[in-house]
Amino acid sequence: MALTTPTAYRSPGLWRRLRSGNLTEAQLGIILLIPAAAVLLLVMFWPIVQVLWQSLHFERLNLPARGRPFIGLEHFQRMLWGTEMAWSPQHLLGWRLLAFAAVGGLWWGTGRGTVRRRTAVIWTVVALLVAGLWMGFHPGEAGRWGDARFWNAFSITLLVTVASVAGSFLVGLPLALLANVESRWRWLVRIALLIPWAMPRVLVGIMFAWLFNSTNGVINDVLRRLGVEGPLWLARADPAIWATNITIVWATSAFVGLILLAGLQSIDESLYEAAMVDGASPWQRFWQITLPLLRPSIAVALIFRTLTAIQTYDIPYAMTRGGPGRTLETLGIYVANTTNSLNLGYAAALSVALFTMSLAVTVLYLRWIYADD
Amino acid sequence: MRRRHGPFARVAVVVGTALLVLNGTFPLVWMMLTSLKDENELIRIPITYLPVEPTLKNYVQVFQQLPFDRFMLNSAIVAVTSTVVCVLIAALAGYALGRLNMPYRRALLTLIVTTSMFPALVLLVPLYRMFLGMDVPLLSPLVAALHDLGMRFMPTEVRTPNLLNTYWALIIPYVALSLPIATLILTSFFQLIPRDLESAALVDGCTRVQALFRVIAPVSAPGVVTAAIIIFVNSWNEFVLAMNFNTTMSMRTVPVGITMYQGEFAFPWATISAAITVGVLPLVALILVFQQKIIAGLTAGGVKG
Repeated sequence: MALTTPTAYRSPGLWRRLRSGNLTEAQLGIILLIPAAAVLLLVMFWPIVQVLWQSLHFERLNLPARGRPFIGLEHFQRMLWGTEMAWSPQHLLGWRLLAFAAVGGLWWGTGRGTVRRRTAVIWTVVALLVAGLWMGFHPGEAGRWGDARFWNAFSITLLVTVASVAGSFLVGLPLALLANVESRWRWLVRIALLIPWAMPRVLVGIMFAWLFNSTNGVINDVLRRLGVEGPLWLARADPAIWATNITIVWATSAFVGLILLAGLQSIDESLYEAAMVDGASPWQRFWQITLPLLRPSIAVALIFRTLTAIQTYDIPYAMTRGGPGRTLETLGIYVANTTNSLNLGYAAALSVALFTMSLAVTVLYLRWIYADD
Repeated sequence: MRRRHGPFARVAVVVGTALLVLNGTFPLVWMMLTSLKDENELIRIPITYLPVEPTLKNYVQVFQQLPFDRFMLNSAIVAVTSTVVCVLIAALAGYALGRLNMPYRRALLTLIVTTSMFPALVLLVPLYRMFLGMDVPLLSPLVAALHDLGMRFMPTEVRTPNLLNTYWALIIPYVALSLPIATLILTSFFQLIPRDLESAALVDGCTRVQALFRVIAPVSAPGVVTAAIIIFVNSWNEFVLAMNFNTTMSMRTVPVGITMYQGEFAFPWATISAAITVGVLPLVALILVFQQKIIAGLTAGGVKG
């Protein structure tokens, strides 16, 4: 007697489902995400792991005989503290005592219940790190604060970030308000907002270098007609940094304007009508309705702008090659120049510094995204 | 806004709008005017605003001094290939994240957005090393095989492994750099397509994959165009990686090539401005045709989430 084995119901395997096209949504989703995940892992995440690892190695392609030995944190020591740094308990002792007093005050406040415990713990850790690691180190005999070129690049990057983010917001907001007005010329306004966004940043830099040309440039010509003698914009560091910032603001304020414009268009028109009925002046409407409701867009615009400002490279490079000399070198230009001189180990360490700065801003962004959920 | 304005406000708006348009277009217009002037006219003081004797010889000079046609071709090949590859990958990912019930959807999307915040400059050193001593699994053998078949992406007789000075050295990072923003744009477009459309197809006996290709794909064409334009512009404009990865003259892209006209101390402004004018023509054409789509895409990328 033939026994027919009872076949239990088996859900069809993944391969069969794939061939027949009957996948569950999650399965299909995972399959569709594979190419994107592969690209991001191979070309974004893996290189970042590599750059972290590379920064702990010595490697100069022009000194192939030296190979690629592991040197630990030496690059970072050279970058931040310098090789001449020494630890001394007296160094900046007053500030350190002050910091410890402040921390003591925090804990006293915790005991009285006016300060949260978590706050006190966090600030204690911060104070210990700063006071211990940073303030105790001081430059030795011939020493200085690490790689002077790095600190210069770092401060130029900070200056450009602060000045150009603020500038592009202050220019971008009026641009958005104007672009939001209904008119026949709206297409022209759109084009005028898109051109600065779409131009390659290097070409913007070259273009403005011509506009800022001290003898034949149009800016100094207009100033001359107004009876002012314009400076030699790009020959000295002081006017050059402002010429650079103005150029960056021109190139980026349009993008800020576009994001704010999207925010403006999502504001409910009836709010304005209600405010008009209540007799609010345009000024009041702007401060009481527009600005508060625009806050999410403003935050997005500022965060994205800050991230791009940290990487500033093209415009200063095109305008002055980071010069005169190396005075206006941003961190980005320093990374690229170090790569060009084939010192890949130190370039990796500088990239890590750059990455850390943008990671800090990214963390702010993520905290803000998840804040009001 | 359809609110009424007083006469003062109206004048202010008109003046403001005029300033806005002037601000946005003046530098480019000035470049075009400069490109029509003679080299001697440029050093005249006081400067001339409109060209006195318009000439086109700067444009001839652009192509004679350096292989600018080659730069354009390189940029076009790199930008178009990156765009096609990136749109394909991003469309698949966008569909998964925008339409399907997936676990951790929100977290995945946030992860992708976070990736877009990585500075491209950080990729410079690792990718340079990777491409230099290039032995990428799968890719190197593939490039060698294509070379043997006659598709020579390498400038020299080198079959492999050095990817520097090839189109790949730019296409690979450009796809990765534009992927996050493209995915974000396409995700938000897919979310807008009504679900009924798809369920109707499913009821009619389509499988999910068939529904994707027969129903969703045609409807999502506008989103794809938007994403494609933004990827194209990003890839056309990229400078740092192109500057450092492709250093032979025949492999330069447009933005890098234009910086090559200036010597150590000499700035042939007439030639440079003509080169800039030619180099941004594709971008200006895209803006003129697709202005609304580009704005929709840019703002989709900027919206929270």
